[in-house]
Amino acid sequence: MKAPGRILTGRDHPVNTTLHCDVVVVGSGAGGSVLAERLTARGLEVILLEEGGYWTRHSFDGREDHSYPRLYQEMGNRATDDQSVLILQGRSVGGGTTVNWCTSFRTPREVLERWRDGYGVKGLTEEALVPHWEAIEKRLHIAEWPLERMNANNRVLWDGCGKLGYARGLVRRNVNNCASLGYCGLGCPLDAKMSMLVTLIPDAVEKGLTVQANASVRRILTGSRRVGGVEAILLDPETDRPTGVTLTVKARTVAVCGGAINSPALLLRSELDGNGNVGKRFFLHPVVIMSALMPEPVVPWSGAPQAAYSRHFSERGAGKVGFLLEVPPIMPLIAATVFPGIGDQHQALMEQLPYIHSTIAICHDGLLPDDVGGTVKLRDPLERRVSIDYPLRPFHFEAFRAACKEMARIQFAAGAREVRSLHSVPVRIQKAADIDAALDAAPWEAGRVRVATAHQLGGCAMGGDPRTSVVDSTLRYHGLDNLFVVDGSVFPTSLGVNPQETIFGIARWASQFVAAATV
Amino acid sequence: MDVPRPEAAPGTLSRRSLVKRGLLGGALLAAGGAGFLALRGGAPVSLPPDGLLVFTPAQFAVLDAVARRMVRPRPGWPTVDQIGVARAADRIAARVEPSAQKELRQLLGLFENGLAGFLFGGRTRPFTRLDGEEQDRVLAEWRDSRLAVRRTGHAALRTLVLAGYYQSPSVWPAVGYSGPPGIFADAASQPEWRGGDQPRPDGNGVWHGETLP
Repeated sequence: MKAPGRILTGRDHPVNTTLHCDVVVVGSGAGGSVLAERLTARGLEVILLEEGGYWTRHSFDGREDHSYPRLYQEMGNRATDDQSVLILQGRSVGGGTTVNWCTSFRTPREVLERWRDGYGVKGLTEEALVPHWEAIEKRLHIAEWPLERMNANNRVLWDGCGKLGYARGLVRRNVNNCASLGYCGLGCPLDAKMSMLVTLIPDAVEKGLTVQANASVRRILTGSRRVGGVEAILLDPETDRPTGVTLTVKARTVAVCGGAINSPALLLRSELDGNGNVGKRFFLHPVVIMSALMPEPVVPWSGAPQAAYSRHFSERGAGKVGFLLEVPPIMPLIAATVFPGIGDQHQALMEQLPYIHSTIAICHDGLLPDDVGGTVKLRDPLERRVSIDYPLRPFHFEAFRAACKEMARIQFAAGAREVRSLHSVPVRIQKAADIDAALDAAPWEAGRVRVATAHQLGGCAMGGDPRTSVVDSTLRYHGLDNLFVVDGSVFPTSLGVNPQETIFGIARWASQFVAAATV
Repeated sequence: MDVPRPEAAPGTLSRRSLVKRGLLGGALLAAGGAGFLALRGGAPVSLPPDGLLVFTPAQFAVLDAVARRMVRPRPGWPTVDQIGVARAADRIAARVEPSAQKELRQLLGLFENGLAGFLFGGRTRPFTRLDGEEQDRVLAEWRDSRLAVRRTGHAALRTLVLAGYYQSPSVWPAVGYSGPPGIFADAASQPEWRGGDQPRPDGNGVWHGETLP
């Protein structure tokens, strides 16, 4: 039995340091943590690097103003270059799993079939993934959240769908002894959320894994057929500014697990552009939101954040983008910035916050033949901020408009007094009969309606053809023997469901290939 | 906090060609930053006693003026002065990347700038010298502009200012928010596990089955 590993921060190396290991894993989210745990369990020497800090329930305080800077990319203000899409993405030990809303879906079978048939992905079948999903579901206590524990906020979607005869389902959540506090997005104070932070990362540390937080990997050390490791700068745990110390990790295998924005950026900084495919086919499940004033308080920050969903509109027919309906938790700071308007009108809305329910429509991008998604590019290579371009196109707006109409219908069916869009000048609707006319008259244009995303996918697409993909069906970078990408960036399309369990499953499945390449 | 990233840009005479070449955004933002042709002074404003980290006094004055339009005096609500919104926005901006700070400074310059005001709306007076209703009109013009760069700028300024106000717990009662549950404070007293010789403390995250799945 190996000695336990340690969890280090940016202050633990006062001078430039070089470390050696079997596998260096860059990024501690859903992909990197599962991979690091599996490789450590096989007896390999693994170092897990994370750019964000090591924040745990002892430092979580439930305050938005503290949590967004600590736990989210760019302090919760990451966005596309034109600011038209707000990007919520985790950034701390545990990555997105530390702050997500616990929703766990297995990958829809049709998505895996599409990847096989359309993109030449081999071996990644439902049958191959099921044992990995079963293991993960057991370890993370993934189970359906019971209807009797559904909060009032999710009840709006549940009841509205019921009234209209729309298909609806109960969300499966990765929680253990959950107290329904509702603060999943700001870090769980009970360790009840079965994030990577409290499960597989510590499991692996007990078996010898070294975790290095506050390590911003700037480049991969590249060779002709092989890579030699990575070079990182350390960041101060309090200020997040560089300490001036460089950490070099020499490894037999490198696994890039930074997610769909930071993984492409790291490859590009290392002059690995995958024949021009790195950063392309970037998808983000664009989300539009409708808010409803309910007759009774729904207290949208309280209770398990996501409990009901509807896939009734996931398939909308040829040429149309489908969408998944869910419910977001809402807290004052994010509400103030996401809800439109200023001055008295805005404050009058904010005063009613306990009565405001919101529904979100998560659009299933990357499926239409001409939907190539967005692009992740470098700005100045010295900058951590990258360029994110995601053009919103007519098929997006068709789906946004249809989704907003359906969400409004559901909200009125559940008893809403008034429904509002999140246009920069909100469309206010008082009765269901007015929905179509009101929303048809609204401006459907980038920057005039709030679009957001909590799911970042693609950018390092897997596939059979090196001319059109970045990694092969074992997640190995085409043309390099010991470089892998293991995260949501390898998806050739989006999923149509929340991605964490797909990433868990694929990372656990891919760990065999990474181990086999570590020679 | 939220940062403008201009792509296309406004102009007058040769707007089309410049927009096509994507040049004027940078040029006009730079004009805002330099404050050139904006020599008519802005309205005076009292600066925070502990100084500014990112913005100049003139940029601070613009933030302060915008904050007063975005958050109105209202019974039961703390005022912009009680919160110190512009100061809070300066502190938020201090934590973003230096390149983004520069863009925010340029945006505020452009917002105030007499030349830009004239090009966009036929006004030559600085934003901080307009009366409240005129300021609201300028804000709405930016919000509704057909130029993406102005909508982006409006969104960035709005987010920065509203974040500066709503980050404060003293706003919670006004919006009916009860604040984080007390359990957070209980967790704070526990030591943080760092591996090594320290045994992992028991808790919900620990696997109690026979073998790890």
